[in-house]
Amino acid sequence: MPKLIKERVPTPERPPEERVKSFVEVNLGYTFELAKQEAERCLQCPVEYAPCIKGCPVHINIPAFIAKIKEGDIKEALRIIWNDNTLPAVTGRVCPQEDQCEGVCVVGKVGTAVNIGKLERFVADYAHEHGIEEELLEEMIAGKECGKGRVAVVGAGPAGLTCAGELAKMGYDVAIFEALHKSGGVLTYGIPEFRLPKSIVEKEIDKLRKLGVKILTDHVVGKTVTLEELLGEYDAVFIGTGAGTPRLLNIPGILLGRIYSANEFLTRINLMKAYEFPEYDTPIAVGKKVIVIGAGNTAMDAARSALRLGSEVTIAYRRGREDMTARIEEIGHAEEEGVKFEFFLNPVEFIGDEEGKVKAVKFEKMKALDERDKRGKRKIVGTGEYVTLPTDTVIIAIGLEPNRIITEEATGLRVNPNGTLVVDENLMTSIPGVFAGGDAIRGEATVILAMGDGKKAAKAICDYIEERRKASA
Amino acid sequence: MGYRITAKTDLSPIDYFVEVEAPHVAKAWKPGQFVVFITNEKGERVPMSVYKAENGKIGMFIRKLGKSSMQLYYEFTVGDELYSMVGPLGKPIKVKHYGNVVFASDAVCGQAENYATLKAMKEAGNYTISIQSFEDAAKVYPEEFLAKPVADEYYLTTDDGSVGIKGNYLDVVKELIEKDKVDIIFAGGKLGTLAKLAELTRPYGIPTITTVRQIMVDGTGMCGSCRILYGGEVRFACRDGPMFDAHKVDWEDVLKRANRFLEQEKLARERYLEELRARGVV
Repeated sequence: MPKLIKERVPTPERPPEERVKSFVEVNLGYTFELAKQEAERCLQCPVEYAPCIKGCPVHINIPAFIAKIKEGDIKEALRIIWNDNTLPAVTGRVCPQEDQCEGVCVVGKVGTAVNIGKLERFVADYAHEHGIEEELLEEMIAGKECGKGRVAVVGAGPAGLTCAGELAKMGYDVAIFEALHKSGGVLTYGIPEFRLPKSIVEKEIDKLRKLGVKILTDHVVGKTVTLEELLGEYDAVFIGTGAGTPRLLNIPGILLGRIYSANEFLTRINLMKAYEFPEYDTPIAVGKKVIVIGAGNTAMDAARSALRLGSEVTIAYRRGREDMTARIEEIGHAEEEGVKFEFFLNPVEFIGDEEGKVKAVKFEKMKALDERDKRGKRKIVGTGEYVTLPTDTVIIAIGLEPNRIITEEATGLRVNPNGTLVVDENLMTSIPGVFAGGDAIRGEATVILAMGDGKKAAKAICDYIEERRKASA
Repeated sequence: MGYRITAKTDLSPIDYFVEVEAPHVAKAWKPGQFVVFITNEKGERVPMSVYKAENGKIGMFIRKLGKSSMQLYYEFTVGDELYSMVGPLGKPIKVKHYGNVVFASDAVCGQAENYATLKAMKEAGNYTISIQSFEDAAKVYPEEFLAKPVADEYYLTTDDGSVGIKGNYLDVVKELIEKDKVDIIFAGGKLGTLAKLAELTRPYGIPTITTVRQIMVDGTGMCGSCRILYGGEVRFACRDGPMFDAHKVDWEDVLKRANRFLEQEKLARERYLEELRARGVV
C-alpha cells in the first residue's frame, strides 16, 4: 500500500497579470518530474473496482496509464489512453474532471484527488514533443486493414473526429464533411486559445489525415450535398453536427448593437482571430464595460476573452454561486484574472442609445428556494425588485441548441421537440444506416461525451455494415 | 482546397464581376441562396449573392467597398485561388408560375439577384419584368451583364436621368401597380429602398419578397449575428432568409443593425487603401 499524499503537485500557471494581456495558454502543464511525482499519489485501485474508470465517460484505464507514468514509460501510457480516447491532449484540457474521474477518486476522500486531467494532458503533450506519438501512430497505421467500407461523417467536431478516427483504425474509408473552412468544430470556433491552443487541435486533425481520413471543408450537408446523396455514395453516415445554434433571450432590445451571442463573440475571436484585427480582417466591437449573461464554461470563455481585449467584465447569473455550471478551474481562473460576478440577476430588458447600441441591462433580482429542480439546482423566483446596470457590450451565454439545417432538409430524420435527433440504443437515427452522436443528440453536453458517442457509433456502424454485407451475400 | 478564379471584369467604376470554380456549390445552388467566400487565410467570411451558377462556376457582382472586396479586385487575377467558398446557403425562393413577376434592384448584389431570379422565373413560364436602378450613366453595367435577356419587360433608371428613366425603381413599381401589372415582386439592394418598397406595396397586398442583407459570420445559423425581427420573432437572415416577406420585416431595426461595425470597417478600408497607395496600385 503506497503512502497517501494528500496534496496535489501543483501545475505551473502563467500569473494572472501576465495572461490577461494575451491569448496564450494559461496552464503550462506538468514537466516529466512533476508528472511522476503526481503519479505517485495514485493508489492504483484494481481495474474492476477503480471508481475513476467508472467515472470516465469513455472508461479510460486510468490507474494503468498512471502506473506507466510512474515507470517513465510514456509510450505505453499513451497506448493505454488511445485504447479509449484518441484526443487526450484535448480532453486533458477541457474535460470537467471534477465531475468525472477526479470527482470519485479515492484519494479525494481524504485529500485532493489525483490530478488525472493534467496527467492525461502530460502524456499527450510529452509524447508529441518527443516523437513517441508519431511512433505509435506509425505502428497503428502499419497494422491497419483497409477497404472494409465507406463511411461519411458530418461535422469535424469532437464526435465526428472520434468516430472517423475509430472507423479509420478499423479499416474503413472515411470522409468528413465540414461546413466551416476549418476543422475541429467547437474545439476550433468555441474554446479559446488560452484554454485549448489551436495548434493542438490541428495536430489531432493531422493525426486523422495520417490515418487516411479525408476532410472536405466548405461542405454544408443539407445544402451543398443532401443526406440522401451521401447515403447513395456511402455505406453509412454519422451525424455529429453538434449544438451550434445559440439560444437568445426573448426580451426587448435583443436586436441592439453590441449584443452578441457567445457563439458570435467566440467565433469572431477563435475561428476568425478578430483579436488580431486589423491584421486579420474580421472585426470585433467591444466596449469598456462588458456584461456576460450565463455561468457555464462558454460564459467563462467569453468573459475571459473580453478581459483580454481590454474590457472590464461582469458575469451576471440568475442563480447563485454554487449553481454555476462551469468547470471549477475556469471559474477560478476567471476570478483570478479579475472577472466580477453578480448573482441572482435575471435580465428582463436591454436598453439602447440613439444609435441603437446597448447602454444598460435591466435585471430582476431573484432569490433561491429550498426546493430543487431536476438537475439538482435550487429553484429561483423573482422578487419584483429591479436593478439596471450600465454597459456597452453584452454577451449572451445561456446555452445552445442543435442546428436545424440537416433536419430541415432530411425530413426522414426524427427529431425531439428540443431539436435533438432521435436515436436508438446503437445511436442509429430513424433513417437506417444514419447514426448520430454528441450534442446533436444530447443538446448541450461535453467534449468527452461527444467523443464517447463517436466511438460507440463507430462500433455500431461497423456492425451495421458487416450485417448488411452478410445479408446480401 | 483552392477555388480558382476563371474570369474577372469591371462592371462600372465601383463594381466588378468575378467568376470562381466551385463545382460543389454551383451544382446545388438555387435562386435566393447565397455563398460565403474568404480571400486568404487572414480574410473574413464574406456573404455574397450569386449572378450565375453554371458549369461548376459561381459568378458574382461585387462592389469595391470593404477591404475584402477591394483585395479581391486589386490582388487577385484570373488563375489565382480563393481560400474558401462555401454554399449554397439560405433558403431558395419558390420558383413557380405566379403570372407577372417583377424584380427590382438598386445595388450590386440586387443586380445579380435580379438576373438570377428572373431567369428562373422566366423558365417557369412567368411574364418577367426587370427594373434596374443605377446612380448615373457611368455606373450602369455593360449590356451583357444587365437582366434584359431574361426580362419580357425591362426598365432602367438613373438617379440623375443621365440614361433611362429619371428616378429609381420605386417610381416604376408605382406605375406598374397602377396598371395592375404586378402579381408578385422580388427586390434586392439598398436596405433603405427596400423598406420604402415594403410600404409602397403593403396597401395593395402585393406579395413582396426582398433580400435582407445583414452582417454575418458563419452564414449557417451558428452565431446569430444576422438576426432580425420578423413578425415579432427573431429570425436569422442566413438560415431563415436571406429573402423574406418584406411586409413582416422590422425595417427600422434592420437598418440600425447593418451599421454595427462601421468604425472597424472604415479602419480596415483606410488601412488597406494606404497600403495600396504605398504600393502604387491606386
